[in-house]
Formats: sequence, structure tokens, C-alpha cells
Amino acid sequence: MSTAQWKEQLEQILNSPLRVLRIDLQEWNNASLESGALTPLEPSPGANVEVTGGRIWYAVRMERAHVEVIELELEHVSITERRLLAWTIEHMKPVKPAAPQAAQEAERQAEELGAWLAMQLESGNLHEQVPESLTFGGRLYADMIPFLLVSEHERLRNTYAELEKLLNSFFIEEVMLIPLKEQEWLILGPMSLLSDAETEDRNDGEEESTLELLASMCSGLHGMLASEWVGECHLAVGQPIGPAKMIVETTSLLRETVFLGRKFHVGENVHLPWMLHLERLLNSIPDSRRAEYMEQLLNRSDVLLEPEILMTLETFFRLDCNVSETAKKLYIHRNTLLYRLDKLKQETGLDVRLFRDAVLVKIILLLYKVTKRK
Amino acid sequence: MAGVRLEHIFKKYPGSETASVTDFNLDIKDKEFLVLVGPSGCGKSTTLRMIAGLEEISEGKLFIGERLVNDVAPKDRDIAMVFQSYALYPHMNVYQNMAFGLKLRKFKKADIDKRVRDAAKILDIEHLLDRKPKALSGGQRQRVALGRAIVREPQVFLMDEPLSNLDAKLRGQMRAEISKLTKRLETTTIYVTHDQIEAMTMGDRIVVMKDGFIQQTASPEELYNRPVNMFVAGFIGAPSMNFIKGTLSEQGGSIRFKTSGIDVALTEGRAQIVREKGLVGKEAIMGIRPEDFHDEPVFIEASPNSVVNAHVEVSENLGHEKYLYLNGLGSETVIARVDGRSTVTDGINVKLAIDMNKVHMFDITTELNVFES
Repeated sequence: MSTAQWKEQLEQILNSPLRVLRIDLQEWNNASLESGALTPLEPSPGANVEVTGGRIWYAVRMERAHVEVIELELEHVSITERRLLAWTIEHMKPVKPAAPQAAQEAERQAEELGAWLAMQLESGNLHEQVPESLTFGGRLYADMIPFLLVSEHERLRNTYAELEKLLNSFFIEEVMLIPLKEQEWLILGPMSLLSDAETEDRNDGEEESTLELLASMCSGLHGMLASEWVGECHLAVGQPIGPAKMIVETTSLLRETVFLGRKFHVGENVHLPWMLHLERLLNSIPDSRRAEYMEQLLNRSDVLLEPEILMTLETFFRLDCNVSETAKKLYIHRNTLLYRLDKLKQETGLDVRLFRDAVLVKIILLLYKVTKRK
Repeated sequence: MAGVRLEHIFKKYPGSETASVTDFNLDIKDKEFLVLVGPSGCGKSTTLRMIAGLEEISEGKLFIGERLVNDVAPKDRDIAMVFQSYALYPHMNVYQNMAFGLKLRKFKKADIDKRVRDAAKILDIEHLLDRKPKALSGGQRQRVALGRAIVREPQVFLMDEPLSNLDAKLRGQMRAEISKLTKRLETTTIYVTHDQIEAMTMGDRIVVMKDGFIQQTASPEELYNRPVNMFVAGFIGAPSMNFIKGTLSEQGGSIRFKTSGIDVALTEGRAQIVREKGLVGKEAIMGIRPEDFHDEPVFIEASPNSVVNAHVEVSENLGHEKYLYLNGLGSETVIARVDGRSTVTDGINVKLAIDMNKVHMFDITTELNVFES
């Protein structure tokens, strides 16, 4: 419970405002002497001192040369309430400090694994296995779901503990968080996410494929991070792996996935490797050849690059070339859409309602995005 | 509860020649339901994302309440987002989905339970609390997304096209529910859509955007009846306003608008504006909404200076009204909306009177509404 919350509740119970103060130990000692004590009262939890001005202080805890106190107006609380408050504070369970040693050790191990991973990626050793000493006591031998998280926010500071806690809350089970570069993390999530969903599917009679499950998990995680962490980020997810053997190769794949997703699909933040095969292929074409193709293909007409046509084509392809659905999505009349597609055909000779031409236009649009962003 | 203030906000992406959002100024009052509307790519979602903290603000200041929040993380802005792109958490049931944000903020279990159940009651999803998102319909998922936002009791709701994945009938129902809900909760709401019907039915005020610029900020009524330019005039209203190019001339003491098939006189007040702006003898574009054409004999008799003859190419009978697609008035097809009981049919010539108190006139160069600028 936060300080704000217990303060609010206490005020409601006592029906009286109170303040939480942090005072010097000397101030406490002076107040206890002024109240008539021969020696300063020890500020143990529950000890209380009447202070000039009709107030009373209750000591909550002492930290070095300071005392945290609750201050109340005497006239607002009865003697019974004062005694009850003293008793309650005295018997409050102390807040257990987080086990700093264990948390720091886990973070250190994660950083070590991250550093090793980064080195393998840089050297191109994609099939290297994780050394035994870095397997977190064997945890990396169990299958896990890999996510790659990339944030663009420069205001990230000391975020490891915060992010780990957030992810543990989200996944309900413990996850492994491995820092790679400054704003890049590999997250290894529990397999139970998939196995629970599959059990329910069997019960419901409807099956969702593994890829669909991974996609929806990735979308959910992205939404959570965007609203509950520092803001927008990019997220990719891979199929389950045995991290000890496949962590390097998988991290490389996910890095490439985020790279391709950001390059070819600006505005999207969730990137799935199995949806980017064509993009991967086009990205492998040397720059000079790409530029050559673009020049040849766009010789037909620049109409393909007009914003309205671009938007129309992207929506049309996204909706599997369905004219009615595309018109609905674009909030235009069906005839208006057909007019635009006819105009495109007139100017370029390409009819996107035909499969062959649709493929060519799709490739042109992808190549354009890549060459435009050089 | 709080208002939101945007002062000279700009958004420019690195490497881009033009700004996505330019000099955006807006003061959103506490409890107001404000809609950002415009075509795809106009900057409305980018603006909303800047308010949410999901996009950096290139220039300008953003206040939520009296707090400057340019550099405040989304989770600390006391906002709740209902974005079309943000999925429910698939591994959690509805209760857990709604409770998650409160759990992160260390609310007491009892408080979480109360907030979740209260919100579920408002949204009529109490019977769904144990279900996972997969087992919900589109409308139910949307309610859960709203529920996640409501339990936070934020200062501001931000909604980005939350209904666009729903079918038309469900969209209509959810529109009404969202409007009722936000009024009941008395929370400032900023809503993005590119559906002008959604904008007109839901907003206290509407901001129409195009190419990163605000075109007009006004109540639905003002936008409809007094659009400041051709873009706003054409964007708001369905079917769209008709635009007819012609010439303004002085004749016998009155100002007339003439083009092929049209020779009508402006009202005296509007004629005076045309004279003052030096538009006599110049080309202009007249805007007429479909419902401002009338085929009733009583209207035609009362409007001798604004009667036109047109050929009905197609008529669409919707029962309570008819749409007439007309030729012979200017160079483009003009749409008129008449009562469903009208006897007008395809292929005939029809006499119509134009309500000259309702027409608009746009400058051919600037496209600004001559009567509103």
C-alpha cells in the first residue's frame, strides 16, 4: 500500500486531516522535552509527543537523523483514538526491503548474457551455444517464447528493474529480461502462455494457430508497454525456442524483423517475422539494382506515388484486393474506388485486380519505400 | 478532471520535408467531448499520440490541466487510451484485463474489485468477467477496452478510431453508448475518427484537419451551416455539398450567379457581401447542400428568382427521401435530396427551387467561404 493510500484511509477512519512529515531527530527531542519529559522520548514506532499549537506527533520510523511522523490536531481525535493509533503504529509490520542482493545478482547475470550475446551477433556466430555458466542455472534449456523490444525513448534511466517488474506482472510468471544495446532488450516469456491458450481452444472447440496466439500476445504486450511504460516501442516475437541453443540465431532474426518492419511498414510497431518474407527478399537486393528496377518500373508513370493512390493501393492489398471492403474502409463509394483503379490502369497499364499486376505493383510500392528512405 | 491545451504544436519527422502537424492551437475545456476528424494522413492520430505521449512533440507546449506534460511519460499523464491498435491482453480474462493498470499502481484489492465491478456494470459486461478476449465478440471487446480506461478514472480519455473494426450496425450502437458513458463520467474526451457522421453525432466541438493543418474548429451545427472553406463544406455532410462553378454578375440591381442551366439571384444581404469583396464579374463556386433543392410547388412559386430546370439521370428511393442525380446544372452531376413522397423519377426533367438563404459561395482561388470570411 502506498503512503498516499494509507494516509487517505486513516483520514477517513479518524475523520480528521493528518500530515506525514519528516523531521529532524533534534526537533523530536526538543518537542518531547518541551512536553514535560525529563529525557527525550525514543522515536520508536507508536511513540507520541504533544507539540505546541494543539498538535500531536506519532513516530512511524526513524532513518538516521530523521524521524517520519504523523501529525494530527489534538482536538480532532479522542483519547481512545490516540491510544489506538499509537498501538496500531507500534504493531505495524515493518516493510520488508526488497532483497537487493538477489535482484542485483540476477541483473548482473542478465547483463553478462547480454554482453556475450552481443559479441556473438557482432561476430556472426549465429549457431553458438550459451556457455553453461550463463544459463541461469539451467533455465535456458527450457523452451521459451522470445520477444525483442526496442525503444526509441532517450529518457530511459535505470530501467532494468522497473521493466522486469512490469513484465513479471504482465506475464503473471517470471520472465527473463536480457539487455542488449542501450534501448534494446530480449525478453524470454513462459511457454505456459501458449499451452494455456491451447487447452482452452480444445475446450471451446475453436483452434487458434500458434502464430495467431503469438501475434495476439505480442500486440497485447505492445499495448501494455506503450501505456504503462515510457511510451511507444517496437516489438517482435519469434516462435518458441530452446534459448541455450538458439538464442543467438533467434535474436538475429528478431533484430532483422524489427529493422524490416520499421523500414517497410512505417507506423507499425508490432513486427512478425513470418509476415515479412517478401520484404526480406527485396531488402537483399543490392541498392544499385533496386534503384535500377525502380527507374524502369516507375518510367510508366508517377501516378503510383500520388498520396491518394498510395493509400488506396495499400488498403486494397491489406484487404486482399476486395473492392467492397476497401471502399468501406476508405469511406468512399465503390464506384469512386473503381474509378481510381481504372485511372491507374490507364496511366500505368497495370490492373491491380489481376493477380500478376497486383504482385508487380506490391513490389513497386515496397521498393519505393526502401529507395525513398535512403 | 482537467482540460487540455495545445500551444503552437508542431510535429516533424526526421528527414521529412514537411511537418505532419503544423501550428496546432487548441484549448479543450474540462468535460468536453472533442472530435478530431479528417481524411487519412491529415495528422489527427499524430496529434492524439502527441497528447498521449507516444510521439515526441517537435515544437510547442502541451498542458493537461495546468501541468506542462511535454516530457512526462504516458503512464504519468493521468490519461487513459482506447486505441484501435491496442489489443486486449489475450492471456488474461476480462477482470484481469481491467484490473491490470490498477494493480500496477498498487491499488488495494478491494478498491480494484470495486472499480472493476462498477465499470463492468456500467458497460453491461458483468457476466463476461471470467472470459478471455478470444471468447468475446467485437462489440464486447470494445466494451472491455473502454472498461480498462474507465477504471483508471483519468483526467482525460483518448480514443483513436475505437469503432472502426465494428460493422455499421454495431458502430451505431457503440457510438451512442460511448457518448452516454463519457457524459455520465464527466471526463474530458478527445476522439479521433475519419467518419464525419461519427464526428457530427458525438462531438461537442469538432476539429476538421487536412494535411496537418486545422481547417476549422466549431460545433457540429456551425461546421454544417457555416463551413469556412470548400474542404470543410465538402467533408461534412452526406451526401456531400454540390460545388458548381459560375460567374457573379450585377443585373437590375441584384447579384446573379450564372452558369449552364443556372441563373439565380442572391439574397440582398449576400449580394452586398459579394459587392464589398469585389467579386462582381468574377468567377466563383456556389455550394448547395442536396437538401436545399426543393421540388414542392409551394416553394417553387415562392422563389421565382432561384428556380432551375434539370434532367434526372438517376433517382434513388430510400423510402423517407429520394436522391436525384441531376444533369444540366453546371458541368458536373448534382445531387438533390427530396421528400420520399415526391413523384420525380429517372429520365424526366424536373423544376427545382434553390433555397438561396442556405447557399454558400467560395472564392475560386482561395476556396474560402465568401460569406464566412
